[in-house]
Amino acid sequence: MDNMIYVENLRKEFKKIIKEPGIKGSVKALFKPKKEIVKAVDGISFEVPRGEILGFIGPNGAGKSTVIKMLTGILMPTSGTCLINGKNPQADRKNYVREIGVVFGQRTQLWWDLALRETYAVLKEIYQVPDEQYKKRMDFLNEVLELDSFITSPVRTLSLGQRMRADIAASLLHSPKVLFLDEPTIGLDVVVKENIRNAIKKINEEEGTTVILTTHDLADIELLCERIVMIDKGKKVFDGGLTELKHNFGDIRTLEFELAGAPDFQLLDFDRHFKAAENDIRAELDGNMVRVRFDTAKVSVEEIISYTLQTVHVKDLNIKDVEIEEIIKQLYRREVSL
Amino acid sequence: MMRYIRLHRIFIAQYLKKLMEYKTDFLLGAIGLLLTQILQIAFLGIVFSQIPALIGWSFAEVLFIYGFSLIAKFLDHLFTDNLWMVGYRIIRKGEFDKYLTRPINTLYHVIAENFCVDAFGEALTCILLLLYSIPQLNMPFHWYTIPLLLVVIVFATLIYSSLKIITAAISFWTKASGHITHMLYMTNDFSKYPVSIYNKAVQTVITYVIPFAFTAYYPASYFLTGKDPLFCIGGTVIAGTVLFALALFVWNRGLKAYESAGS
Repeated sequence: MDNMIYVENLRKEFKKIIKEPGIKGSVKALFKPKKEIVKAVDGISFEVPRGEILGFIGPNGAGKSTVIKMLTGILMPTSGTCLINGKNPQADRKNYVREIGVVFGQRTQLWWDLALRETYAVLKEIYQVPDEQYKKRMDFLNEVLELDSFITSPVRTLSLGQRMRADIAASLLHSPKVLFLDEPTIGLDVVVKENIRNAIKKINEEEGTTVILTTHDLADIELLCERIVMIDKGKKVFDGGLTELKHNFGDIRTLEFELAGAPDFQLLDFDRHFKAAENDIRAELDGNMVRVRFDTAKVSVEEIISYTLQTVHVKDLNIKDVEIEEIIKQLYRREVSL
Repeated sequence: MMRYIRLHRIFIAQYLKKLMEYKTDFLLGAIGLLLTQILQIAFLGIVFSQIPALIGWSFAEVLFIYGFSLIAKFLDHLFTDNLWMVGYRIIRKGEFDKYLTRPINTLYHVIAENFCVDAFGEALTCILLLLYSIPQLNMPFHWYTIPLLLVVIVFATLIYSSLKIITAAISFWTKASGHITHMLYMTNDFSKYPVSIYNKAVQTVITYVIPFAFTAYYPASYFLTGKDPLFCIGGTVIAGTVLFALALFVWNRGLKAYESAGS
């Protein structure tokens, strides 16, 4: 068995007190609490081979973070098994966490008030990294994440992009075998996202680090992940490659054209031109804006653009990002329909 | 163990660097602290100058007990102040996640991260009171007085810290428990004065339930009179040990109940 991560039938339930709105409701809940059990994670199983980058996706509140927190030993599972490199995170936490690195994009583990390099000096002691290895490691992380320009600045003065790079470096200082990244690209601009993706890729390739990554940005998945596990409402709904995901659920893209004159819209007839079934292309007019949603399995982006440009006068063109939420929506309909 | 001591030095150094990072805040804080302490000592002077003796305890003896009570309070305040934040913020906001992903004991990590220099205000009052009272007293002194004193200080501090750990750990279940810690902590004011001045109920509570009396009055009265070593010193050791064991138990159970916060 060369699985780095093995998860079987993992569950996590939370007790929740239901409150009616307003102060009256809060007071009532204080004396007569109505409890409800929320299944945040409801029987999830999957495996991750050594050295793989797994994209762990799902809409907000699907239970992604809860799974990550159980795998990293933060939360106690209600039932089920998880083994990482043969170790149970909850059984021997102190030894287990030496093998993993964790980054929560929304939170920082850096020492807020001190220069960034102070954080690394403390982490070096916490993880007992020998001096020589520490020097080599810092050189490597500096090269991959370009920390040099802000390593002497106090953490509170770093930009979000710098902070994220610094946090990723902090999680890698002790050369972990598995890296958990919970939304590492959240709120970052395109250039920084690119920078961080390259760093993750490089670390994975050079050190064989197994990576679990959660994200809402499909581009992260496309560029990094060989495999995807998708969960929703605490259950696994998909496990496979990206092409398979698109094949199963459709790769719906949206193009927006701003027309020189609204009446031009009459000239466009995507259905007839592409001889497409009704559900494959749908165009709608909104002011001067034509929004075309289509399945790239049936029609290519190039074809749509060239047809539109030939037919009408276009002032501006916008290609919208594919969102994972969009795929989830498709998933519910179980078929590609626009 | 050596590793933890070494780490603690580093954490304290980091904390001091942080203090220096905000110089104005540090300076104003230091001035404020000094003023508070001067006022407190002046206040004590006024109160005690009206009371020549308290149910069999002379003025100097009362000052000694008061000063003695501050030793454990000072040490606890200096080293474990971050426990307040556990009950008020760290668990409720999910910030506790960080400690659970590091390969060191969580309780140690939380405690070591902060180093409360404010506590030196208490140290100042404590030293002044002891320096003033001891020369006026005729206390028994043996070769074992100093070692015994050290033992008492360790276990008395454990009583303080353990009570704080237990009340902080309640927030693993309730999400916030800062006010419980606060409530409990306030009862330590009772221990600054001879226990015999209180009624039976208060005496029982601060001896057997929240044994703050063992952090000050009982051991201090032993050092003053040399009477009842078994109860006065043994009681402190037992109370400290039992409470610390309970604190570790509650903390570890709490870790399993920790629910983090959404992100």
